[in-house]
Amino acid sequence: MSRLADIPIRIEGLARPPGPAASGGLGGGVAALLMELASLLERLAKTQLPAAIDLRSLPMSAADRSELERVLGEGEVRATIQAEGLSVLRETRMSGVWWVEHRGAQGELVAESLEVAQVPAILASAPDEIAAAARALRERLSSGAAEPGRTLQGESDERRQ
Amino acid sequence: MNADNEGMMVGELLLRHGISRRGFIKYCTAVASAMALPPWMGPAMAEQLRSAPRPCVVYLSFQECTGCLESLTRSFAPTIEDLIFNTISLDYNDTLMAAAGAAAESARAKAMKENFGKYVLVVDGSVPTGAGGAYCAAGGRSAVDTLREAAKGAAAIVCVGTCASFGGIAFADPNPTSAWPVSAIVEDKPIVNVSGCPPIPEVMTGTLLQFFSTGQVPDLDEHRRPKVFFGNTIHDRCYRRPFYDQGKFAKSFDDEGARNGWCLYELGCKGPTTYNACATVKWNGGVSFPIQSGHGCIGCSEPGFWDKGSFYSPLSAPAWGKAGEVAPRHVLELVGGAAAAGVVLGAASAGMSRLRQHEREQRADTDPKGS
Repeated sequence: MSRLADIPIRIEGLARPPGPAASGGLGGGVAALLMELASLLERLAKTQLPAAIDLRSLPMSAADRSELERVLGEGEVRATIQAEGLSVLRETRMSGVWWVEHRGAQGELVAESLEVAQVPAILASAPDEIAAAARALRERLSSGAAEPGRTLQGESDERRQ
Repeated sequence: MNADNEGMMVGELLLRHGISRRGFIKYCTAVASAMALPPWMGPAMAEQLRSAPRPCVVYLSFQECTGCLESLTRSFAPTIEDLIFNTISLDYNDTLMAAAGAAAESARAKAMKENFGKYVLVVDGSVPTGAGGAYCAAGGRSAVDTLREAAKGAAAIVCVGTCASFGGIAFADPNPTSAWPVSAIVEDKPIVNVSGCPPIPEVMTGTLLQFFSTGQVPDLDEHRRPKVFFGNTIHDRCYRRPFYDQGKFAKSFDDEGARNGWCLYELGCKGPTTYNACATVKWNGGVSFPIQSGHGCIGCSEPGFWDKGSFYSPLSAPAWGKAGEVAPRHVLELVGGAAAAGVVLGAASAGMSRLRQHEREQRADTDPKGS
């Protein structure tokens, strides 16, 4: 072998024989997943108990995946989180089903799941952080009151100048 | 390391290092996914750990090459696991800590005293017991004495790498230093073996994180390895497995079969008898693993892998162990040379290895459990 270009390259995952999805029906794996989602949604409606399905643990072909995306569709809400990399949380057309992707600092996919919840828990502010924010704001306000002209509004005015 | 971290909760410490609650939940979710835990475990682990006191880790290095520590700490970018392990938890590691000599030893004694019964003891390397332990000593004390002392106050012991888990290369025939794995010396503590030469960093940190958040050692296999990572063979999860099933094998590293990505069984791949997570978690941030790079698995996470013959002989080859050693007739009778017999033969090979290990144990001139 003399050149890099001589190494044959084969892309895996595309050469799958056409399954039921290709003929208009749902692949077995996708159908089972949707049934599980339906059960979890019914439970959420009755009990408010959230749940999640780890997509990375399921062997899904590219065809299965696009079939799942097609059935679930795109909903109205899309949220992003910037913490140790980008996370994207998309509500699907099925209210209560969220497609959640977490990426690492290098952009690599580190976790992917379908969450069944009113809102994914990671989006909500935590009580301890809310209490800490309240304390910080009070401290800022009290120090601002102690120093005339150094209110929060004053600071932003200073920055604009 | 962590001189200023005393008495703080993990959540506070993470925030101090710029890791938000959401960032940490994400990290734990990724760890839970890699460990095939239920998805709700990630956020639960994160919340549990955030409100827990700073864990204490004492890391002892004995007869080893530092490859395990390299694997654990040399990520592409500073990662949360590096932060939790190195910056937040680690009270003693003679390679990483700035202190040296008496100051380092007194830091270890202090950490062990203050966290008696609670700290996790991480051990890297085998423990030589020959010549009264003189082959490995630090601060005037032998490795075996240091291990026995440190084990007394440990909540659990995590053996990092094949040397600490199974003796590794130092334990291999003829074992000139009478080296032993940790489990041969300490018998009264929970021991988790995270084997591999080196182990996968995510496997090490996942195991530690699960212990920190639950206080429990994970479910273990017969070799005390966490089942979540060591539950399947490399072969079970190998993307080249369909070629094995079809009987398509590379015969040399540059033939048509190798170029087509066929199974490496006949080139000595030990995947069928090796339990590890390389085929799923992979290496270098999930980029690849040896088989994906065109080389067979060498079986580095299995006990006695150095003594199982050439890395390049198929598992079905009729010789194991040191040069000239011949397998007994009942094992040879199983050998047909056919790759399809490989799994059975691999099991036979592992059995042979255990037999030789047992014989070596009989021969060893030092009793590891003696005081």
